[in-house]
Amino acid sequence: MQDQQQEHTFEFTADGWEYFRIWIVNLLLTVVTLGIYSAWAKVRRLQYFYRNTRLADASFEYHGTPMAILKGRLIGAGLLLVYIVAGKLNPLLGIAIALLISLAMPWLIVRSLRFKLHNSSYRGLRFAFTGSDRDAYRVFLLFPILTVLTLYLLTPFTHQRIKQYQHNNSKFGDTLFNFDASVGSFYGIYLKAVSVMILLGILAAILASTGQPAVLLLLPFLLTLLPVAMLFIFAYLAVSLPNLIWNSTGLGEHTLYSRMNVRPYLWIAFTNLLGVVFTLGLFIPFAEVRMTRYKLEHMGLLAQGDLAEFVAGQEQQISATGEETADMFDVDISL
Amino acid sequence: MDARYFDGKTAAAHPVNLALDGQTLLLRGGGIELRWPLNEVQISERLGNTPRRLTFPDGSHCEVTDHAALDALLPQTRRDWLDRMQHSLPWALLSAVLIVAALLASYRYLLPWGAEVLAQRAPESVLQQMGRSTLETLDRFMLQPSTLNAARQQTLTAKFAALRPLPGDDMQYRIVFRSAPGAGPNAFALPDGTIVLLDELVAMTKDDNEILAVLAHERGHVERRHGARMVLQSSAVGLVIGWYMGDVSSLLTALPAAVLEAGYSRNMEREADEYAAATLQHNALSPCLLTGMLNKLEAAHNKDEAAPQSGTQQAKVLDYFASHPATGERAVVLCPGSR
Repeated sequence: MQDQQQEHTFEFTADGWEYFRIWIVNLLLTVVTLGIYSAWAKVRRLQYFYRNTRLADASFEYHGTPMAILKGRLIGAGLLLVYIVAGKLNPLLGIAIALLISLAMPWLIVRSLRFKLHNSSYRGLRFAFTGSDRDAYRVFLLFPILTVLTLYLLTPFTHQRIKQYQHNNSKFGDTLFNFDASVGSFYGIYLKAVSVMILLGILAAILASTGQPAVLLLLPFLLTLLPVAMLFIFAYLAVSLPNLIWNSTGLGEHTLYSRMNVRPYLWIAFTNLLGVVFTLGLFIPFAEVRMTRYKLEHMGLLAQGDLAEFVAGQEQQISATGEETADMFDVDISL
Repeated sequence: MDARYFDGKTAAAHPVNLALDGQTLLLRGGGIELRWPLNEVQISERLGNTPRRLTFPDGSHCEVTDHAALDALLPQTRRDWLDRMQHSLPWALLSAVLIVAALLASYRYLLPWGAEVLAQRAPESVLQQMGRSTLETLDRFMLQPSTLNAARQQTLTAKFAALRPLPGDDMQYRIVFRSAPGAGPNAFALPDGTIVLLDELVAMTKDDNEILAVLAHERGHVERRHGARMVLQSSAVGLVIGWYMGDVSSLLTALPAAVLEAGYSRNMEREADEYAAATLQHNALSPCLLTGMLNKLEAAHNKDEAAPQSGTQQAKVLDYFASHPATGERAVVLCPGSR
């Protein structure tokens, strides 16, 4: 069996300039239609990224329809408006509405995951999401509440449960994904990041308590060091967590992998940020393409045998409302 | 031409050859032989250099990477206007320019218009809420209790209450007395009909009618819903910026302050002046009262500018003159022959 294993790396064939033209024309149409066109722009953006993503010499495809997304956006905008107006009229009413919306959130997230996966395909087979609402309320409502109540000590645990729920309930054709990262491995990564932060804090406290004038001279240096250290910690998390998650994810008998490194990731993220700021956003499409390329080209599939053996599953109709409303309230659950 | 066929049932890729037979598309290769009427084949729109898909009625599809060959085979799928726009550099540059122009135009025209329409229809409770939260913020950060004695306050309140409203006026008013030593003489109206009168302004004149003239001017701002319009405009701008920055919640707290910062437009000041003049005449008072007061305010303002150490902290927010039209110009309109 082992000698049959084949490594397929994702290829990303998008081009920054090509995407820039598509992006800016769609942005113009979005602006002149007062945002209505954004649903079409979104479909086009996803299509461009999906179709440029290739694995084992075949591309992905996005099937979401603009009308479904537009409907979702309108409902999302309606909810936001209700929240803002209610909050202005009466702060208590605003809180009540916010509570109601967070109660609906897990339900919306499930719809959005279903919509997203159902509308993705590869080699003519659709993906699917089969997670139950009941489990969604546990991982997206109960665990987050417990996390806050335990002063965020449960964050790695909740993160692991969310990913487990997402990946164990995803399908390609009728083949299930599986996820076997332990809670301990999530704690390991988070602990490293937190302990570096604590160490830095202790170091600063010791230096400050000595009261030496020399420390004051070092102050500008320390003040620049701190943001740099924070950037490194952020990049460490942004790289290690997806690596862990994808390396623990399998599809049937095949396994996925992700092998990103902190330094190149940090470089891309940092230069992207500078680019976007100094071009007043015109660099956004280039930045998106660069980052996606880095992520995808360090990911792949270790296939056991032939990829042709996947077969189609049940088709189901999915509405876009969940995804769009979740979008509006800034809940980003990236797969 | 070459394509890859996926049957939609398995992930297997079948290399096939595409050919046209009249209005029928032929797929052949690797034991596959399929015919589809051309008008039932869905051809995906062109998007950069991405592979194109021919989707068939049974859910199966072909993936084509050879764009030139596909265009040659199916000339009727040639590029539409959107497709051409999306791939041209001139259009990309033009789009960038047009986006900026559209954003500026909506800020300049669409926003004030929309705010005016909404403000005229804003229910009483919304205006009340706007006024209350603004006054709370002002009291917390800039205003101090008034030092005027109760009798003086009552006199001014009574005189203002005796001012007969113009036909069509629909707001209820109350005057609140405050002091703001750093801000200079001023009075300002909140959307709910609350008019804040500062001691510094009361101290400026012996003639109560001049104070009434300023109050009438503030009343104009309320009647014309200028405050509510400013609130709506700055909320909309805040919402867009917040969206861009990805944080919607923070703007809710920043609202009342942003409103004050905005200041009224020159047009709004003119409207309030006209209203004040009409109200004064309606009450058998001269519009020149307002002119007199404006001149005094301008003089005080100029003195402040010349000697910045006199005012402790110049609270710009309350600066009466920040966006007011030139006093001379207003005086000519209000009180012809005054200069």
